[in-house]
Amino acid sequence: MPKLGTSIRITSALAAVALLAIVVVGAANAKPARQATTLNGAGSTLIAPAIAVWGPAYAKATGVEINYSGIGSGGGIAAITAKTVDFGASDAPLNPSQAAACSDCVQIPWALSATVPTYNIPGLHSAQLRLDGPTLADIFLGKITNWSDPAIKKLNPGVPLPNLAITPAHRSDGSGDTYAFTDYLSHISSTWASQVGNATSVNWPVGVGGKGNPGVAAIIASTPGSIGYISVAYVKQNHLDWTRMKNASGNYTLATAPAIESAAQLVKTVPADNKMSIVDPPASPKYRNAWPLSTFTYVIVHKSSAQADALRKFIFWALTPKAQKLINNSFLVFAPIPKVVLVAAEKTLTQVH
Amino acid sequence: MASIDATNDATRRPFEGRRVHLGDVLLKGVAGAAAAGGVALVGLIAWKVIDGARPSIAKYGIAFVWHIAWNPVPGHEIYGAASFLFGTAITSFFALLLAAPLAMGIALFLTELAPRGLQALVTALVEMLAAVPSVVIGLWGILVLGPQLRIHIEPWLHSALGFIPLFGPPSAAGASIFTAVIVLAIMILPIVSSISRELFLGVPHELKEGALALGTTRWEMIRGVVFPYARGGIAAALILGLGRAMGEAIAVTQVIGGGVFIHWSLFSQGDTLASKIAAEYQGATSNLDVASLIYLGVILLALSLVANIAAQYIVRSVARKHGVTRGGHA
Amino acid sequence: MSAHELTTPAMRLDRLPRRRAVNRTMEVLAWLSATIGVGILAFVVYSVARRGWSELSLSLITKPPIPFSFTNAPQGLANAFAGTLVIVGLATVMALPVGILIAIYLNEFAPPSIRTGVGLALDVLAGVPAIVIGIFVYGLLVVGGGGQSGIKAAFALSILMLPFVSRTTIEVLGLVPNSLREASLGLGIPQWRTTLSIVLPRAIGGILTGTVLAVARVAGETAPLLFTSSLVGPRTSWNPTHALQTVPLSIFELSESPNPKDHARAWAAAFVLLVFILVASLTARWLATRNARKIAGR
Repeated sequence: MPKLGTSIRITSALAAVALLAIVVVGAANAKPARQATTLNGAGSTLIAPAIAVWGPAYAKATGVEINYSGIGSGGGIAAITAKTVDFGASDAPLNPSQAAACSDCVQIPWALSATVPTYNIPGLHSAQLRLDGPTLADIFLGKITNWSDPAIKKLNPGVPLPNLAITPAHRSDGSGDTYAFTDYLSHISSTWASQVGNATSVNWPVGVGGKGNPGVAAIIASTPGSIGYISVAYVKQNHLDWTRMKNASGNYTLATAPAIESAAQLVKTVPADNKMSIVDPPASPKYRNAWPLSTFTYVIVHKSSAQADALRKFIFWALTPKAQKLINNSFLVFAPIPKVVLVAAEKTLTQVH
Repeated sequence: MASIDATNDATRRPFEGRRVHLGDVLLKGVAGAAAAGGVALVGLIAWKVIDGARPSIAKYGIAFVWHIAWNPVPGHEIYGAASFLFGTAITSFFALLLAAPLAMGIALFLTELAPRGLQALVTALVEMLAAVPSVVIGLWGILVLGPQLRIHIEPWLHSALGFIPLFGPPSAAGASIFTAVIVLAIMILPIVSSISRELFLGVPHELKEGALALGTTRWEMIRGVVFPYARGGIAAALILGLGRAMGEAIAVTQVIGGGVFIHWSLFSQGDTLASKIAAEYQGATSNLDVASLIYLGVILLALSLVANIAAQYIVRSVARKHGVTRGGHA
Repeated sequence: MSAHELTTPAMRLDRLPRRRAVNRTMEVLAWLSATIGVGILAFVVYSVARRGWSELSLSLITKPPIPFSFTNAPQGLANAFAGTLVIVGLATVMALPVGILIAIYLNEFAPPSIRTGVGLALDVLAGVPAIVIGIFVYGLLVVGGGGQSGIKAAFALSILMLPFVSRTTIEVLGLVPNSLREASLGLGIPQWRTTLSIVLPRAIGGILTGTVLAVARVAGETAPLLFTSSLVGPRTSWNPTHALQTVPLSIFELSESPNPKDHARAWAAAFVLLVFILVASLTARWLATRNARKIAGR
């Protein structure tokens, strides 16, 4: 005999579940009451180690949490344009069409680092292989395919280069490191400039793709014969091998903080949109030790938004000497930002409110 | 698979001609709305995805499908699906080629050869393989399968069969179409085998025993009775497996390496429609880039729908032909 | 080979040894296939277990990850486990009522033509790739609508669960004997109450089973999460209005890392996920056989 109770119980259970579902879905569509206790950001993996240090320090000082997702500079630009995050981080400045799409965005340089060609040749770890721009371009164009190629031998006399196929590794996601790397290659190779170009994501003639700096580092670490370009901090963290790049002055330099700082001296005045390129500094006593693949990295925010106040405070804090010192160390190898750039950055920041 | 019971209509006949209660109307209304919503959902998905791809569809039209380019560099932007369509085709085809005989073998084993206890155990084990999430198989593919293939299998295959363009120089990083093919084969094996098993179980005993009584060996009976009877269902199983392989994004993107070229070697990298979307979506740089990635999704959806509807149609017409009702055994 | 060919000259007795040899070969191949099939499963599970076991510890679930850590400080995936619980839970809450209602409509009310039509639509929905569902929910809810959130991720997963829940509920409702419905009718009880208080309670066991299977299916799903809940931080949060980290997505990200420690955590998380899914699936199937007998038996 069916009891009335069972029927009511079942009906009310179903109704309760349905009601809960409605409430929950309704809450999803209501604009979440965002307290300024969390700032969400996404983008460059080059700046990710810095944010990993800044985040906890800022939370300790102010109670504001920073959530960050390293999805590549291209992703950061897309995310801030679509307003799915509070701030985007990119090593590549916005190109004209991106600037138009993100119409009330500003980009503020907040750190200085570099990308480094790194390789994996069994037996030649800590050899600090010497390379120059044209050779690097030829490797990534697929013209040089073996480590024993005469062009590489010429740059490294006496180094026992093996007969090992070269596997170039690149970023499969939209990347600021790619931007800096292709910027450099476009400067020193007209073939590269016309055939491949300079952007956060290009059509690579050869090679394997990895996602984010960690992805490329994973490929380099596990693939004998590979060569790729990675941000300094990741080369350090994963104990990968350094290369010495020949800069325009003819010196083979390592990617150290002084070398990067030297390249940043290229900036005399900062343009209104803060777009700067410091790859391949020209031959001159001033840049004789400069690292030719250095790059600024930007935080991109909307001028006015719900979180503008909190964002301004955070970025201002990041530009202070105390915060900058946190990342100017031998682990992360971010170089001190030149004063003229700092001034421009703070000036742009006043537009955010 | 045919999931609707061919329950006899007597279920509902008792309720004809009775007084209509408000509760009846309400329940029927709400439940009917849910059902309508479910149907509408399919249409909504198709519409929303096509809508997202609109800028790219407007720019390239149907020619997108056979362009081999994919260049997101601003100023040189050009997008096309052909290399990913090729990747999807080649990975799914070879995955099916690997998985189908194995699946048939397992199904035959379970229905004809296995003793009762082993039958239940192996069935459960093969279905457990279906439960392994794709990201775990991808993780296993990157860290276990890939290196093994790169170090041992690929060089061996290349040296033994290198004259066939399919077996070119081994991949450098273990990430290749070949790794993706094996990963996909593992993933579709359970589906194809469990559908085949149910099909073989559904072959009427009289037919099988009749053939055996005529003096055929077990294999001849299978060839002569089981396969022809289950032919349509096997086709549906294969198509469903193919559809599953085409749609897999995560495990494939973990092991396939990425690339926009069309190479015939299985050991080269590549991308499929699904894996390209998974790899690039978050970092897409322009509106056209995003729209083109969604356009890839439109093509993928179209292919899956065709495969799915074809399989469902075959299954239902076969069920009609054989007068099969499901759920006959507990 | 059609049936009438079974009596052709090729079947003569003098060909018997060869025919037996072929038969034997096929039998061996079938056994081999089964061995390979089981072997693959064993290999994958063994790989995951062996590598995940060493990194398995309570801190995996209790400690948050420390991004870009240079030290050996213990880290875990606390945020991912919390997020998965919340998101999968919400997805179940969304999918269950709708799935049951659809099943009730199809099994108790709908004429045959509608049953076929809706059934076909559900089977087609089950075949839509998860990544396309991700694009769909992204376009529908995330873009311009306030960003990612756990609820939107749960919505995407609930779409994946819906065909499962419906399908198993329909089957289980069909197993309830008609005699029950007729008896209820004979007592003057309206159809709606019959369905809700007589038919449905008998089917609860099967519905539960279907739900557990759907949860197992969806707990490991990664693609839709890429679009709806991937911009996350290391802090553990139970708030579904923000994007939450999830276990499958963590495994995905860790799998592509160069750091062997990250790989170890990925294996451990994969192990936990796998054990959960396998135990859930097996339990569900065992319950299903038991329930089906119970429902139909009386």
